[in-house]
Amino acid sequence: MDLDALFSCFASASCVITQATSGFIIGMLLFLVAVGLTLIFGILKVVNFSHGVFYMVGAYLTLTVFQATESFTLALVAGGLGTALVGWLVERLFMSRIYGADSLMQILVCYALILIFDDLVRMIWGAEFRSMGMPSTFQLPPLFIFGGVVPPYYLFVIAVAALIAVVLGLVVSRTRAGKIVRAAAHNAPMVSALGVNTTVVYGLVFAAGCMLAGLAGALAAPVRSVTPGMGFSILIESFIVTVIGGMGSIVGALVGALLIGLLRTFGALGFPLFNEGLMYIFMVVVLVARPTGLFGKETA
Amino acid sequence: MGAPSIPRALAIGAVAFVALVAAPLATGSTVLIDFVIRLSALAIFATSLNLLAGYGGMVSFGHGMFYGFGAYCFALMMQRTGVSIPVAFLTTVVGAALVSAIIGAICVRLKEVYFSFVTLAFQMLIHAIILAAMPLTGGDQGLRGGVPRPVFLGVDLSNQMQLCVFSAFLLVASLLVMHHVVASPFGATLRMIRDNAQRAAYLGVAVDRVRLKAFVIAAVFAAVGGVVQALFVSGAYPEFAYWTMSGEGIFVIMLGGLTTFLGPTLGSVIMLLLNDVVTRFTHYHGLVLGIVILVAALGLRKGLGDFVVERLADRRRQEAA
Amino acid sequence: MSTDKTRGGHPTASDAVSRRSALALAGSAALVTVAAPWVARAQAKTIRIGMPTILSGRVATLGISSRNAVMMEVEKVNAAGGLAGRPIEMVVRDSKGQPQEAARVVRELVNTDGCEIIIDAEASSAAFAVHEVARDLGMLTIHTCSETSQLSADPKLRIPNAFRCVRQGVHDSVAGAAYAAKIAKEKGLKKWATCSPDYAYGRDTTAEFIYYLKQFVPEVEVISESWPKLFQPDYTETITKLLQANPQAIYSCIWGGDLTAFIDQGNLYGVFGKAAFFAVNMADYTVLTAVKNLPAGVHSGNRYIKTFPTTPQNAAWGDAYRQKYNEYPTNWSWENAAAVNFLAEAAKKAGSTDGKKMSEALKGLTIDSPFGMNGKITMRAEDQTIVDYAIGWGTTIPKEPYMPNVTPGDWKQIVEYETAWKKSKGYL
Repeated sequence: MDLDALFSCFASASCVITQATSGFIIGMLLFLVAVGLTLIFGILKVVNFSHGVFYMVGAYLTLTVFQATESFTLALVAGGLGTALVGWLVERLFMSRIYGADSLMQILVCYALILIFDDLVRMIWGAEFRSMGMPSTFQLPPLFIFGGVVPPYYLFVIAVAALIAVVLGLVVSRTRAGKIVRAAAHNAPMVSALGVNTTVVYGLVFAAGCMLAGLAGALAAPVRSVTPGMGFSILIESFIVTVIGGMGSIVGALVGALLIGLLRTFGALGFPLFNEGLMYIFMVVVLVARPTGLFGKETA
Repeated sequence: MGAPSIPRALAIGAVAFVALVAAPLATGSTVLIDFVIRLSALAIFATSLNLLAGYGGMVSFGHGMFYGFGAYCFALMMQRTGVSIPVAFLTTVVGAALVSAIIGAICVRLKEVYFSFVTLAFQMLIHAIILAAMPLTGGDQGLRGGVPRPVFLGVDLSNQMQLCVFSAFLLVASLLVMHHVVASPFGATLRMIRDNAQRAAYLGVAVDRVRLKAFVIAAVFAAVGGVVQALFVSGAYPEFAYWTMSGEGIFVIMLGGLTTFLGPTLGSVIMLLLNDVVTRFTHYHGLVLGIVILVAALGLRKGLGDFVVERLADRRRQEAA
Repeated sequence: MSTDKTRGGHPTASDAVSRRSALALAGSAALVTVAAPWVARAQAKTIRIGMPTILSGRVATLGISSRNAVMMEVEKVNAAGGLAGRPIEMVVRDSKGQPQEAARVVRELVNTDGCEIIIDAEASSAAFAVHEVARDLGMLTIHTCSETSQLSADPKLRIPNAFRCVRQGVHDSVAGAAYAAKIAKEKGLKKWATCSPDYAYGRDTTAEFIYYLKQFVPEVEVISESWPKLFQPDYTETITKLLQANPQAIYSCIWGGDLTAFIDQGNLYGVFGKAAFFAVNMADYTVLTAVKNLPAGVHSGNRYIKTFPTTPQNAAWGDAYRQKYNEYPTNWSWENAAAVNFLAEAAKKAGSTDGKKMSEALKGLTIDSPFGMNGKITMRAEDQTIVDYAIGWGTTIPKEPYMPNVTPGDWKQIVEYETAWKKSKGYL
């Protein structure tokens, strides 16, 4: 424990800004993965344990397209859309068969998907880790904001993730498509009886959730090592985020992700050797006090 | 499921025990000996998880923590205290009961997928503690230096053959006791809670207390499985308490079947064989295993044990008709 | 296609299973696994060497590079007549890096496949599990990947039939600290920060490095420590913590993909411009070829590098490996290659492949090796681990030859400090 370091950080504006923005960057990437997870659970009632796979697929697609074309914009788009396509296929082929099945069956199928995709990635891209490198547009010196250090690329990542959060919130709450989705979550047979094709809705929602995870992978590719099995570490954390925020809640995913991000950056100062443990304790406390999470519906 | 009379159960147990040790004793094959030991560890663990998940409807993602606890507690007792094996074994069982009672008291209050998550969180916490408690546990490198096995009651567990017989005995005994639990009125109450907790509560059942009891019983047997594993590898490693162990348990019970008592044991056999054979031929065993699971899960939609039992029942019905 | 095969297998499986005989199945089904290897066991003259290693999962590349190196050397040994006249047949199995699986695989290799020698290419905890099997079964075993000093230094763990052919954490730390001390004195680097993975290797190596650095330069002070998890995807919190501490020098033993991620993320914050960076695992070809924006002048220890030792034999070995496998050798490659060389020499000296005789021959054996500091490596008799292998530090550049100038370590100094370290741990 090193509480002195933590307190002396709180006393300095530059430290608080640096740690807070780095907490945001960790949190926003987590949010993109977690919000897909929470959407899929909220609407399809499936706990998608294989969600990390799509984060990995997004990163690999981005890396490949970037190395082929040198265009980061194209690579991002390919990462997002390509992952959506893979997600849609997975939904049609496998997920659609386990809606309503008991959770053990769902876990098992997801476990199989993780095993299969990790090995497929190894076959296609090799067992060796890859590094994409920072696109030249973002090879800039860090900015100094009130003495805090903020890399420009991370500002871009936070902006993209925030934009997605806002758009997602608006689509779900304000549009006709959002209404259908919410209605399907509430009572699928009824929506189906009203002439909406729920099969298509489910496929699209799953694909959209995967696309978000793929985008997270795409945005992470320039700074994190791209390797088979990379989806796992982010999966556990995004699970903690959704559980803390409340399964099915978009706002919950955002708040949970930011809380975990900040817990990590400030926790690293105060509890360097038990940072991970803090996260699990936090999760247990939330679950015991409010089993449905901070923003979950009471009757889950 | 009717409870068989005790003499009958013992007779079945004796037959099963003889069947288990016959091949290793007759052939002296070290592979068979190792197989029976590993099977015992995994099958006790998987059956205990099934007690919780299959019969109690409590899908734990963290059952591996008690397997790990059993391995560490037993190995540490043997290394540090110099007590005899039965004493260390009993201490481990009591210890597992105490620890699981505390963790369970918090976990069983949560339902469905939230129960799964909170058990997962506890498991990760226990795993983090094992890694952090270096001086006691050896951290990520595990407990080194071997587990001493002094002779007790004429049994010498440093002899692999005797360890095999001992493990088989523990497996059969554990299965008999767990079967007894499942077939008892307690087991019936547990199934009632699984199917409809509200109705059980209306009928005056203290739901959470029954769930806690099941949680503790399952944890105790998971720890017994961990003891066998610790004896096999002569040590204890953090991997035993990691989520992958719990995942393997879930995989095994799904493979073998949830509703047949011996399903998890059958699943353990298949799992070990799959592992041993497939890893010989390809490094892409994940891919092979994944495809097998998908075919089994989406094709049969139930465990192999359940599938077979239902098919047999169908055939009997047809014959009767 | 695999689906069809699996389906085709179903009827037999379900026919064989009856409800009552599920338990008995355990025994009979296991017979299937026994049968396969027995068929293959034919030529009595060949000697089988078993090798458990990590061929799947996150660090599969390391296991593959170990196997490659072993295969390359075994070919040479066999061409020269094998081990005391017996050609070697390698049996390599995947352990997934799990201790219980490694223990099982080794037992199977010895008991079923008839392997007489084990090359244990396992890291960390799995190596200790294999060590226990070696204690139990008594076959000649050479550990080739676990750098943990305790494995050979602790007399309580020592057994006559197990050797270690691996660089060692404490050796690296003494050599690294001596090198760093020189630079610290020249440039006045007093405020240090450490950032290493939170597991035994990371903790021990870092503590030892700092301990010796302080002995050489007493003014050195550690102002910040970070312990990211192994395989952590994001190091942002560690990096910003380093920024807050504002050290003059950073020590790290992060390795592999974690190190490239750490560097990529550190670059964003401009960390490496401000402080001297000592990363012992930087000069590893897998990292050097993957990392895109290598900061200038990172100090690193050698892992396997063609430029050190600067001998034609070493360069030739590196080129041969690269030509054969179309990739660079790793740190694990040379360690496994050297193990095969040791076995060959030991068999020659003993005139036999008997495990006990070879073990005796291995004790104190010195062989000619491209990986030796002066062309020779010795298997030290008292603790059955290697010394005099190439060890040195230098600075890295982003293209061939990657680490052009290496300052060699001083083995006399290394052994002197190692002995003191062993005494402090109660090993001597």
